Amino acid sequence: MLSTLQPPRSLTLLPFRRLHTSKTIASLSSPSPTLDASPISPPQSQILTTRRSLLSGETTASEIAKSYLSRIRLTEPQLKCFLHVSENVLREAQEIDRRISRGEEVGPLAGVVIGVKDNICTEGMPSTAASRILEHYRPPFDATAVRKVKEMGGIVVGKTNMDEFGMGSTTEASAFQVTANPWDLTRVPGGSSGGSAAAVAARQSMVSLGSDTGGSVRQPASFCGVVGLKPTYGRVSRFGLMAYASSLDVIGCFGSTVADAGMLLHAVSGYDKFDSTSSKQDVPEFESQFLSVDSFESEPLKGLRVGLIRETLEEGVDSGVRSATQEAASHLEALGCVVTEVSLPSFSLGLPAYYVIASSESSSNLSRYDGVRYGNQVMADELNKLYECSRGQGFGGEVKMRILMGTYALSAGYYDAYYKRAQQVRTLIRKDFKAALDQNDILISPAAPSAAYKIGEKKDDPLAMYAGDIMTVNVNLAGLPAIVLPCGLVEGGPSGLPVGLQMIGAAFDEEKLLKVGHIFEQTLKGSGFVPPTLPNVA
Amino acid sequence: MATRALLAVISASPPRIIRIKASTFPSSSSSSLQFQRHSRIARCFSSDSNSSVLQPPDVSRLAETARISLTPSEIEECGAKIRQVIDWFGQLQQVDVNSVEPAIRAEMEGGNLREDAPETFENRESIRASIPSFDEVYLKVPKVLNKE
Repeated sequence: MLSTLQPPRSLTLLPFRRLHTSKTIASLSSPSPTLDASPISPPQSQILTTRRSLLSGETTASEIAKSYLSRIRLTEPQLKCFLHVSENVLREAQEIDRRISRGEEVGPLAGVVIGVKDNICTEGMPSTAASRILEHYRPPFDATAVRKVKEMGGIVVGKTNMDEFGMGSTTEASAFQVTANPWDLTRVPGGSSGGSAAAVAARQSMVSLGSDTGGSVRQPASFCGVVGLKPTYGRVSRFGLMAYASSLDVIGCFGSTVADAGMLLHAVSGYDKFDSTSSKQDVPEFESQFLSVDSFESEPLKGLRVGLIRETLEEGVDSGVRSATQEAASHLEALGCVVTEVSLPSFSLGLPAYYVIASSESSSNLSRYDGVRYGNQVMADELNKLYECSRGQGFGGEVKMRILMGTYALSAGYYDAYYKRAQQVRTLIRKDFKAALDQNDILISPAAPSAAYKIGEKKDDPLAMYAGDIMTVNVNLAGLPAIVLPCGLVEGGPSGLPVGLQMIGAAFDEEKLLKVGHIFEQTLKGSGFVPPTLPNVA
Repeated sequence: MATRALLAVISASPPRIIRIKASTFPSSSSSSLQFQRHSRIARCFSSDSNSSVLQPPDVSRLAETARISLTPSEIEECGAKIRQVIDWFGQLQQVDVNSVEPAIRAEMEGGNLREDAPETFENRESIRASIPSFDEVYLKVPKVLNKE
């Protein structure tokens, strides 16, 4: 069970006796939920379990790391979550063990095994954004979020697969490989952070970093049955995140519990002088929200006002998703919330406005990939030809399409009709959210209109794929924080497919989202969403 | 599966009117999914006395502007998809944005600029290692042909 925490930024070591060596890592083989689940103990935080095990001497960072590497070796042939696995994992784990044995301080993420999406720069490790144009690129610096994770003792186990440059909702648009959903290997994990979500679901890493421009953390979290946390725009530095749409991009966190996603977010949040859009707002101690379920009152969320977004339960949303969302709303009511319907009249405009803005900004951001300073170069006898051929051969189809759409929308004479107009629609959307959040503490909706669909199903139909983002894009346009957590299963796959509930908060109010999410998760019957299809590590 | 029904055209009335459903929670049976063609999209591209005519995208021209080479089959395939998506963007033309300020991004605090003071980056070797064609201190590129 989780205990009330007052964690310092680094840990003071207690004197310990090594009691015995244990190879067991908690929660790797939790029982999986079935559609008619009986009560199972609530999911435990991997970060806290690791911390306790290391400090008590029950296990070592090296043993934990070996266990995760072994799991990756076992499951990667089927899943293909990783584009690169780090060669330094054991060395870093041994360093942590050395420090612990010498009684030195180690950070709050010591020994935590972390996956990082491949559009986030990791020094010396390939960072390709799943694109051929950056196929062998090794950045000379760490992204700020990666630097912070390392400073706190986290171990980056590898770089996860994604849709090329973040453009996609299935991870099928990777130039290198298609990642499978751990719940059903014939289905997509979602995207664009599909590799990061699937890696956590399959217990190949404890937590992972992704990026969310239009739902790329939240939708794969829903498809893979894990927690996905999108912070407020500006909460986490974007320095080192390869830009897709600069006014929409954020770095987000995946975990198997709300507590893990929240603690990872805390680790990477904060003002950064290298990102002029990063916020100077204080970062609260999120960890104080993660109280033990034993300490909950009978109605722990009494009086919390929850707005269910009416437009997200209309035509086009799968009946299973609607039922799961309605049941989640009932669960919140049982916890003491007051759930009412709210309407966001501009809701349906978000999707075209998002794609205009994202395409336009991406056409500018991706102009830096020209084959001259880094990445794959296609030699030509003339400079423009070098640009054209390097980009033509280096970029995939979806990326080229979005760059061209963006080029069109920003062309002279079209800017007012498209980009400026989309920015005006963004203002309308922000106003609607603000009005709804003035009347409610949080808003809720499904994370996606369906559960995970089959690989190849939407590949040739761009509009069908874009339609799946309807639940998530408005939150990026408004710059608000949101969390997705698994709330139920629908029919499909060998043992059902997970469905996520999205909770949206006011700007910089991640604390409230984490509190509500944690209580929801810990009191949900039959929780512990572990895909049953994969073998367990011995 | 939820797909194109979600792209249904917004109602003819101004977007701020709420469509009220009879029941609070819709029934569990899903309606058939139909993609509703945008009858007003055609009007977006027609000449209006006050609005300028938006020409449909010329993919070859766009590719040249964006410095991306496309094969003829890519131009055809890409072109069809792009035209479809741009068509769909057209519904934004129907929104009343009179006197609505464009939002560049989410609300930002000001004063986040730093000193314009150069600092030496230590890991220059790693930067150099990434450059495809390099000669002493120069990045090598082919000649520039002046088109004019």
